[in-house]
Amino acid sequence: MQRPLAIIVEDDPDLSTVFAEAVQAAGFDSESFYTGDSALKRLQGPAPRLLVLDLHLPGVTGDHILEFVNEQPHLAGVQVIVASADDRSAQALYGKASLVLLKPISFIQLRDLALRFIGQDQ
Amino acid sequence: MTILQQLITVPSVDPDDARRRRLLNIVLVTFATLAVVGLAVSLLRTRALTIASSDELFAFYGYLAFLVIAAGLYVVNRNWSGTAASLSLVMLLSILLAFVDDPAQIADGRSLVVFAIPVVLASVLLPAYLSFFVAALCSGVITLVALSVPGVIPNTFAMVVYFAIAVVSWLSGRGLEQALRDVRSLNNELEKRVQDRTRDLREALTREQTEARKNQAILQSIADGVIVFDELGRANVANPAVNGLLERPPSRILGATIDELMESVTPENQAEVKSLFNVSTNQPAPLNVEWGDRTLSLSVAPLVADQPGVGGSVVVFRDVSREAEISRMKSIIVAMVSHELRTPLNAVQGLAEILQQGVYGQLAEKQQQTIDRIILNTKRLMSLVRDLLDQAQIEAGTLKIESVIFSPSELLDSVREVVTGMARQKNLQFQLSISDNLPAALVGDPQRLGQILINLSTNAIKFTETGSVKVSLDLQDSAHWTMAVADTGPGIPISAEAYIFDAFRQIDSSAGRRHGGIGLGLSIVKRLVNVMEGDIKLSSRIGRGSTFTVILPLIHPSPHTINS
Repeated sequence: MQRPLAIIVEDDPDLSTVFAEAVQAAGFDSESFYTGDSALKRLQGPAPRLLVLDLHLPGVTGDHILEFVNEQPHLAGVQVIVASADDRSAQALYGKASLVLLKPISFIQLRDLALRFIGQDQ
Repeated sequence: MTILQQLITVPSVDPDDARRRRLLNIVLVTFATLAVVGLAVSLLRTRALTIASSDELFAFYGYLAFLVIAAGLYVVNRNWSGTAASLSLVMLLSILLAFVDDPAQIADGRSLVVFAIPVVLASVLLPAYLSFFVAALCSGVITLVALSVPGVIPNTFAMVVYFAIAVVSWLSGRGLEQALRDVRSLNNELEKRVQDRTRDLREALTREQTEARKNQAILQSIADGVIVFDELGRANVANPAVNGLLERPPSRILGATIDELMESVTPENQAEVKSLFNVSTNQPAPLNVEWGDRTLSLSVAPLVADQPGVGGSVVVFRDVSREAEISRMKSIIVAMVSHELRTPLNAVQGLAEILQQGVYGQLAEKQQQTIDRIILNTKRLMSLVRDLLDQAQIEAGTLKIESVIFSPSELLDSVREVVTGMARQKNLQFQLSISDNLPAALVGDPQRLGQILINLSTNAIKFTETGSVKVSLDLQDSAHWTMAVADTGPGIPISAEAYIFDAFRQIDSSAGRRHGGIGLGLSIVKRLVNVMEGDIKLSSRIGRGSTFTVILPLIHPSPHTINS
């Protein structure tokens, strides 16, 4: 069976690797984007099952992308995990994302959470 | 002074002497006037009659002599001695009176009475005791008169009477002098008191003025702005600093109300400022308000008035723009550092975990152990960074606590995950328990509560060599629940309890180096507990162990609270 898709949006390449490995270990295929611009373009295409989104992005911000995802009808079923480095912006996001994780996000933690999401709507 | 007054008054050091000389002058002037009148009448009569009779001539020359003597005595009184003049007058009078009537009448008849005049006059124009001298003189005169005429015996009874009159005159004269002396002394007394009072008042006034000048100088020179509002709310005193702080010229400050001055303040802040003026007794805490380009700290104090209803307020403005800016910058830096430090640490931990979990292949035993230690150390580093950032947030005053629904048992699970490994490494028992009384769902900040429990547990494990660390969640009463961490470590001395929650303090720094950590854990725990409106208690016995108990307000979930 085809593996579901997870899109990773994170500008730090090492962290991006960690996130990608974690969702893959949970059974997702992953696509990684390092800028808000490129992520936004990609999100106009076919919807992923899971989106792992870092808030601190250069250029188009994570907040902006989140707004976009919430507005687009074709992205309505996407589970969004937001990664934030400081709790102040995280507080404002409850309700807009499926889950808010505070950095540091451990590989093990993300893998286990992604496993939960992969079990849904199947 | 009128010309007459100037004529009569003789300046003298002794007031009694001056009084007597003045009286003498009055007498002399009266006599002189009479003499002049007599002269005038006499002249008229001689004019009217063609021949001057010897009587008329005698009268004329008599009046003239009178006038001359009066003038002479006046001069003596004025320029030399009043006593001499008076004495001369009295003596002359006594002698002259001897000729007013028949010798027989003078010495022993109806004219004896005239000699009372000089006696009484003496008591008025001279020091009172001299009336006795005049009495004696008059007695002498009547005796001489009597001797000049054979067959006349001087009336000794009259002499006694003269002395009696002298006594009375002397007494009344003395009485007058005494009364005058008393009045003068009273005057002097009053004068002195008035001087004293005046001096006291002058000194008090000088002190007040010096004080006022000092206050004025202080107000002029301080950097803080001070405005005094009267009871109608209009500014009536403003120091120079206000002009710069409010960016208005003095003409637009004096007479203005606080509303007029708050043009550049937002409406919400205006309301807050106005509320400062309503507190009547205690001074409210200073309020920071953005005012135009600046941030000002305002303190308001009511003016205590002497009369009820008369009052006003004093407002002190301090420019805290710099502090506010620093605070803002701190918050920005904390946010920036937050991200910059956490991201690479996250990467290290994540990548190490990838290796540890065998994603890139199975590891040999030594490799496995090494990667485990890398992960342990990055977690320690992460915890230190988080503590430092929390401390920075605490200092910037920006630490915030969430209110979401959470499950106490899930809280314990998260703690168990993190801490169990540490306990196992030291061969310590690690137990977690929840009381059945505790509700399944509570409202609070699970992330911070977890941080508190993890901090307290790791501390307990750090300092305990053998035995156990027990974490328990309990219901205390209908309004409070507790989290307790008990260890079987060395205990904490009472002396240390005072500073144990201070930032960067440890019981002894050698223990710190052995056990790691920078001493922020407990201070952050205490701060978090405070922000949650809870309390933390320590009970400890040396050699037996310590128990930290956190008491928190029990908040049940309402339909509005967010799920975590």
